Amino acid sequence: MVENNVDTTGYTLFWFHRLMIFYGLLFVVVEGLALLDLGVSPYAGDVFHETPLIIYFFHFVIDYAEIVFMMADALTAVALYLAVKDYNKTVFRKQKYALEAERYPLDCLELIRTPKEMYYIPLKVAMFYLLNPFTILSCVAKSTCGLNNAVIALFILCTVKGSSLMSAIFLALATYQSIYPLTLFAPALLYLLQRLYIPVNWQRSSFWLFTTQYTFMYLGSLCVMVCLSFFLLSSWDFLSSVYGFILSVPDLTPNIGLFWYFFAEMFEHFRLFFICVFQINVFFYTIPLSIKLKEHPIFLIFMQIAIISIFKSYPTVGDIALYMAFLPAWNHLYRFLRNIFLVSVVLLACSALFPVLWHLWIYAGSANSNFYYAITLLFNVAQILLVSDYFYAYLRREHHLTHGLYLKRKDGSEATLVLK
Amino acid sequence: MVPNLTNYLFLSEIMQAKAGQFFSSGHTNNWAVLVCTSRFWFNYRHVANTLSVYRSVKRLGIPDSHIVLMLADDMACNHRNPKPATVFSHKNMELNVYGDDVEVDYRGYEVTVENFLRVLTGRLPPSTPRSKRLLSDDHSNILIYLTGTHTQMECGYNELLFIIDTCQGASMYERFYSPNLMALASSQVGEDSLSHQPDLAIGVHLMDRYTFYLLEFLEDIHPASTANMNDLFKVCPKSQCVSTPGHRTDLFLRDSGNVLITDFFGSVRKVEITMETINLTAPMVHLAVERPVSELKTESQSYVDQLPVAEIIHQKPKQRDWHPPDGFILGLWTLILLVFFKTYGAKHLKHIF
Repeated sequence: MVENNVDTTGYTLFWFHRLMIFYGLLFVVVEGLALLDLGVSPYAGDVFHETPLIIYFFHFVIDYAEIVFMMADALTAVALYLAVKDYNKTVFRKQKYALEAERYPLDCLELIRTPKEMYYIPLKVAMFYLLNPFTILSCVAKSTCGLNNAVIALFILCTVKGSSLMSAIFLALATYQSIYPLTLFAPALLYLLQRLYIPVNWQRSSFWLFTTQYTFMYLGSLCVMVCLSFFLLSSWDFLSSVYGFILSVPDLTPNIGLFWYFFAEMFEHFRLFFICVFQINVFFYTIPLSIKLKEHPIFLIFMQIAIISIFKSYPTVGDIALYMAFLPAWNHLYRFLRNIFLVSVVLLACSALFPVLWHLWIYAGSANSNFYYAITLLFNVAQILLVSDYFYAYLRREHHLTHGLYLKRKDGSEATLVLK
Repeated sequence: MVPNLTNYLFLSEIMQAKAGQFFSSGHTNNWAVLVCTSRFWFNYRHVANTLSVYRSVKRLGIPDSHIVLMLADDMACNHRNPKPATVFSHKNMELNVYGDDVEVDYRGYEVTVENFLRVLTGRLPPSTPRSKRLLSDDHSNILIYLTGTHTQMECGYNELLFIIDTCQGASMYERFYSPNLMALASSQVGEDSLSHQPDLAIGVHLMDRYTFYLLEFLEDIHPASTANMNDLFKVCPKSQCVSTPGHRTDLFLRDSGNVLITDFFGSVRKVEITMETINLTAPMVHLAVERPVSELKTESQSYVDQLPVAEIIHQKPKQRDWHPPDGFILGLWTLILLVFFKTYGAKHLKHIF
């Protein structure tokens, strides 16, 4: 690439955002469709790793691809808007019951959320998603990440509205696209149970009944989708190309994730072990978080989406945009956040440094992969810090709501809360 | 070249004279050896000279494969060059003669008298690549341009033009005795060849006078030009050059008034399109290949018809060959409808049916 000869901004923009979004790009889909036209399975070349339903979808809309991605982003924003609006109503209801039952200590009334401050939150959530540079990059790059985000946003909407069938179907669709939304099963279940006033008690039969219902719906839809995909292409190739690809990480193109560098220098002998370790790492946080946050499933959804986008095998900035959209919903936690300056500065700096170090590494040849991976690591550390900061703030607020705002030790002196 | 042509041409009596004219100049290919032998930054102008001649010669048609370019120092990437990757021949930096497509065959310390003589005589080690060899034959016209410094040719050539832009250049050509050689020099014995114009931004002289006026003259030459060597001898009189340019034509067989500039500076091929078949008599060998004229005409017409103009004008969208199986479409949309009605109730059914 000769930078001197680049005249069109479109060309430079293409290469810029190519740095942060490597997967699910449209030209890969076009290639898959072209291979199909030639009578060959699209998974024959090792480039196409999208699900057959995406093939079906794009078969019709490939000529209008930009509009499709823009509409997907708009759909995500609308779904998030409606979901957060409904969630705010739920929050109010709970708060009202708690106030009436006088469960809050008297000095933490300033922590109570008022309708006035929460009026604009749904709009802010939608705007955060639409105006996020990462979303715009993802849309310009025409990455199927936008479609995945739309499905997850619709899933969240259906969960918040309380429709368990639709929630199960969208969750199955999201899992079908990439395996990781499987971890969202637990928070969805918790929220639906909460909504139906079924307590999470292992001995209760109503709990088990609902759980099995939901599980059946989910697994049933997943099976239906997989079987439909089989009928689309009349082969089971897609299982190894899509899910095998996600789980066994054969492609080590540098991206903003953590896998590529590690596995590039891994000996074959240990590869399977470390793949298992890394993949378990993604799914592992579900159980402890669910136990801790079983009263707050929507926050759990936020944390799960964040963990998926940090630890998944092929992250893109579109995944980051989705959980960042939720941040205005936790505005009330602002007073308890400790690292916000550091996190925002590091995220900004790393986003700026990604293309610079990529250029230095690949084109100028004066850096090497360590530089780029350092920025990747830093970026992910900043994200983890962001998520854990919000977790701390949330738990701290809950603690204050039960134990009062000004904490005193047994001898009466002032105490501080530490997250252990 | 010539033998291939004879397979397909048949000469009639009327065409014989034309054919004689066609092959009059005697050469079929052109080579150029451009040498700059001076080193160091203050000899910038010699490199600019050579590169300007290189550029003119390429413009007039001689390809890189037929040019041996020898530059003794690297001005473009010299750390004293305020504009790296450029070599300017005119002040105010109007013309960058280095460009993107310069192919230097001998550079730096490879430019020696010994290598120059080896190139001209062809006595190079067998591992030398083709780009460093002068692969002329006895139908080649060779242009040799020397600048910067201060021999007998044994390489195969048809005609040779020697241009020397150095101090006391005439001393070089006074010693020549090879046949069919024409030489031009920028200065006589005892005179110095002077530089033309300094550039204040780069800080050195950009060109020598003789080459400057020579190149001004060459800029007016295009591949179809009929300027001859007498015009070249008039380039840079004493009033402009201060030194007296000289030339030597006694070893040259043809009259210099008949020699075209493009015979040496360009690679001009004579092409004549004829609709008639021409019989070439001996010594050219010919094969009996009949090609009736009418066949040619019909072929040309059918080619025109075969051009799919209508298709090109009306660009249709690509036809897609793959379609999803019907069972799949049926199953998918049935499921979607089922889910829709389950969620929103059967009361919407009446809106559909």
